Amino acid sequence: MIPITINGKQYDVPEGKTLLRVAQDLGITIPSLCDHPDLTPHGGCRLCDVEVKGLRNPIAACTLPVSANMEIMTETEDLQDARKTILELMLVNYHGPLSIENGKTNYFLKWCQQYNVDVQNKMRKEPKYKVDSDPNPFIRVDLNQCILCTRCIRACAEIQGRFVWGMANRGIENQIIAGSGVPLLQARCESCGACVDYCPTGALGHKPSFGAGSSEKKVQTTCSFCGVGCNFDLNVKNDQVIKITPNPNAPVNGKHLCVKGRYGYKFINHPDRLKQPMVREYLLQDGQKNSQEIGPWVEVDWDTALTIVAKKLIQIKHESDPDSIGLLTSAKCTNEENYLMNKLSRQVIGTHNIDHCARLCHSSTVSGLAMSFGSGAMSNTVQDIVDHAESIFIIGSNTTEQHPVIGSKIRQAIIRRKVKLIVADPRKIDIAEFSSIYLRHKAGTDVALINGLMHIILENNWQDQQYIDERCENFEEFKATLAGYSPEIVSSITGISVNDLIKTAEMMAAHKPMAVFWAMGITQHSTGVLNVLTLANLQMLLGNMGVPGGGVNPLRGQNNVQGACDMGGLPNVFPGYQTVTSQDFIDKFNLAWQTKSSSGKHDNELSIKPGLTSTEMIPMALDGKIRALYIMGENPLVTDPDVNHTRKCLQACDFIVLQEIFPSDTSAFADVLLPGVSFAEKDGTFTNTERRVQLVRQAITPKGSAKPDWEILSNLANKILNEEQREITGEFAGWDYKNASEIMEEIGALTPSYAGINYDRLNHGESLHWPVKDSQHPGTPILHIGSFTRGKGKFHPTEHIDPKEMPDEEFPLLLTTGRVLYHWHAGEMTRRSSDLLEVYPGAYIEVHPEDAIKYGIRQNQQITLNSRRGTTRGKALITDRVSPGLVFANFHFPGEQNTNNLTIAALDPVAKIPEYKVCAVKLVIE
Amino acid sequence: MEDQSSKQTYGLSTPSMHLLLNEFPLNQVESREIIDKILLSFKDVPGGLMVILNEIQSQIGYISQPIQEYISAILNIPVSTITGVVSFYSFFTTKPRGDHTIKFCMGTACYVGGTPQLMRKAEQILDIQTGDTTPDNHITMEVCRCVGSCSQAPVVVVDEQLYGRVRPSKIPPLIREIMKTYEDS
Ligand code: SF4
Ligand code: SF4
Ligand code: FES
Ligand code: FES
Repeated sequence: MIPITINGKQYDVPEGKTLLRVAQDLGITIPSLCDHPDLTPHGGCRLCDVEVKGLRNPIAACTLPVSANMEIMTETEDLQDARKTILELMLVNYHGPLSIENGKTNYFLKWCQQYNVDVQNKMRKEPKYKVDSDPNPFIRVDLNQCILCTRCIRACAEIQGRFVWGMANRGIENQIIAGSGVPLLQARCESCGACVDYCPTGALGHKPSFGAGSSEKKVQTTCSFCGVGCNFDLNVKNDQVIKITPNPNAPVNGKHLCVKGRYGYKFINHPDRLKQPMVREYLLQDGQKNSQEIGPWVEVDWDTALTIVAKKLIQIKHESDPDSIGLLTSAKCTNEENYLMNKLSRQVIGTHNIDHCARLCHSSTVSGLAMSFGSGAMSNTVQDIVDHAESIFIIGSNTTEQHPVIGSKIRQAIIRRKVKLIVADPRKIDIAEFSSIYLRHKAGTDVALINGLMHIILENNWQDQQYIDERCENFEEFKATLAGYSPEIVSSITGISVNDLIKTAEMMAAHKPMAVFWAMGITQHSTGVLNVLTLANLQMLLGNMGVPGGGVNPLRGQNNVQGACDMGGLPNVFPGYQTVTSQDFIDKFNLAWQTKSSSGKHDNELSIKPGLTSTEMIPMALDGKIRALYIMGENPLVTDPDVNHTRKCLQACDFIVLQEIFPSDTSAFADVLLPGVSFAEKDGTFTNTERRVQLVRQAITPKGSAKPDWEILSNLANKILNEEQREITGEFAGWDYKNASEIMEEIGALTPSYAGINYDRLNHGESLHWPVKDSQHPGTPILHIGSFTRGKGKFHPTEHIDPKEMPDEEFPLLLTTGRVLYHWHAGEMTRRSSDLLEVYPGAYIEVHPEDAIKYGIRQNQQITLNSRRGTTRGKALITDRVSPGLVFANFHFPGEQNTNNLTIAALDPVAKIPEYKVCAVKLVIE
Repeated sequence: MEDQSSKQTYGLSTPSMHLLLNEFPLNQVESREIIDKILLSFKDVPGGLMVILNEIQSQIGYISQPIQEYISAILNIPVSTITGVVSFYSFFTTKPRGDHTIKFCMGTACYVGGTPQLMRKAEQILDIQTGDTTPDNHITMEVCRCVGSCSQAPVVVVDEQLYGRVRPSKIPPLIREIMKTYEDS
């Protein structure tokens, strides 16, 4: 601490900060425009000039480090005059509305007001630039209000890591430009809105909420798109979400957001929203279903709908058995709702046939990591990695598009801390431009690639032998298999040069700790589990597990896919991964959920055999083994591999209940539609990819007679239990929940890793990563410190296996699938957010320029892809992101544009995850 | 800074190198070779960007938007930074210049003295806008900042030659003078 004097008063302040920051901390206002605490100081506007004793001229407080015994004056008459002049000079080129609040606060006008500047008379009389000059549907640009503070330039570079904005021309013609003076989107803008948030005037604005007025209340909640788990404020007016604003207290993202989170809220109020329960007409008549013609929908009240569902499920349960019913729970719904689905399935219906989309994304991660370490989740937190990693290895994750805020945090770490980045991906994804090494290996050769790197590491003795000896087992067996992965062999399998392999291994060894990130590029293979095991081997070999800045970091896709797994939305585990194959856990839950029927005998005798996975359940409808499906918030008709087959299976079902917010493709086959609500209309919790449990808070009332999903499930369960005359006897057998918080208490009581989580703690702003062992336990941001969950980390020998279907003469191209920044999964939400759709209106298929020449296709031309299973259509996007022979398509669009018409249902033998990432196709021109 | 939004449909990803290489003048083998050589020689020199821009300006004659994008991709410098530098210094141009340039002084004295009228006259005769070059590549019209001869306002500079107190009637003969060189040959 050092003494300084400000305006005649003495203070002790910390060293190493700028005067402006120190003053702000002390609550002393020094006016500033170009400075912002999150950005590097610029010192350009001079509004913050102060007088320092001993210096002849005023000096900018925002770039001046404090030093001992400084004497500072911040508001002398001279300074005030100077400030007035500065503001007036800025007004010479300024033209804009006079209201300070116009969608966002105009700090420039605020200072003008404070220093008595006559804005109306001093500003430019007519606009110099076109107002709203950029076509980007999210960012409103009005250069007439720009004061050239460069905050947008720094925000885009330092926060988003995109370097879109710059400064062009000079003197009076000085202006900000995007890229080389082109529209924002063409200058590679990702529409994150950061520049708008940091702009102190109205020059940059949020277009979707422009003119929407000010909100009546703000409700902090958790984003419902991806697994990053950003927090923000829903701004509500007239019971509608009018905009989303960042909340500086957000633990994961701070003030930063991505385009979907910040602007993708229009779906909430879309006219397509389901507002009334509906049943097929036949259910109100004789109950006889015509398998050819399912018949029209009829709107009914809740009681009618739920009674029909309850009776039908009971009937099927008794005619066949409980295992002829399957449930798909939802990674979009809250933990509480997933817990209830698991309870509905196991307690009320009596089957372990419950699964969800994690089967399709990270089941191989969960299985693989459980085998290696005993816990199948991300081991470190994003902030920990950004702060402590020396290198980052991204393989099979298009991070900047799929987990945009994590993507920009990684870019920040590279820019600020010079962290080394290695990217391995068959596509040259955007983050590759930040990499020190980019490896374009052939799709489906991940095991060979990593084994090759480990071969080199061992050959040079770069492994952490002490770590291996102390903390791991099975090293020798594992080592033996690596012999077959010499750099030459690996080079021929993967297409990576020997030289690059050596360079990569060297970099990994020299820059520890290294964190590994992966996503679907690793998991969605018939070798998904092998891929994961191999990455786990790599991290043990280098001693990167259980340390800050290291770890295995599978990025979870859905907002609550971690939670849906945690809550027992899987066929083999109760909540908290308590396995159904253990008699102890069966007994525990039989007792907790115990009910007795009038006959006096226990109704719930849970089987000790795991249930069916979703990829087994749906096909089994064809031979009648599965007769009914209860689907909550999933859309298998878009997301399952080989959807033509899925369609037949759904058609074959006797009875399908769909609990949804929109009429999705799957609803065409449903018998009952129950309207659930969006994340803005209910309370609950989501668990993000870092195992962090966060609150979702209701901001508006449900649309029409839609109900929060947990209420629907409770009402249904009560109906069935009543109908079956079962009496509640177990401590946690009842279904009378008053609110979501009560459900969390039940979860905590039955789930050791959630034991210490309750709404009180969360409401007090605690950010908890499971396991949270009790109400005093602080949570566990980093897993496997000291020892692994399973004790010793286990090396697993792995071998390269070719993907199930490789290109051949008839189908010469390799298709890989994925997502894009502007859309979300099956697209039910983003295709109903008009601005997102405007930027990315339909399916694009990425084709390499060489292939484009070979097939004679032009940019944007309609093309068709055929595989052995189906056809998809889209526009050609000719780009060197893909390599020759590889095409890429996304699965956000349904029907004939759906990529999953093509994909193959080849399953990983352990995790049953389908091989979405590789199949063979041919390209046809219409 | 023309509107090119029609060119690209999906502006999210890194500009595709192959699209860039299809654009003039990068699609001309000769120009590509010159530019690549310059980039290669000065890529790793500190402060190399300025040298590179200077060399490209003098050897190619201009630094158009595709060239800027190309430099950006090769040097890994944001294109906005490059555009910033190019637009800051008046000796860089973004369009090819003709064999001859006529510059019109836009300093205050000249502006008040009648530069706009002179420009209009020249635009009429040459049938181009200021900033552009005649289709035959002979003459480029440009504006410039005060050249320090305010006493002779309005001032016009043809190549390196300065003309003072120019009246609109003086413009046709000036242009004829330039065109003469072509008739002779
Ligand atoms: S919206 Fe984001 S990416 Fe686009 S210019 Fe602004 S900060 Fe950069
Ligand atoms: S647009 Fe806004 S943030 Fe950017 S320089 Fe202008 S006033 Fe500053
Ligand atoms: S705030 Fe210090 S110079 Fe702008
Ligand atoms: S204003 Fe034209 S020479 Fe000075």
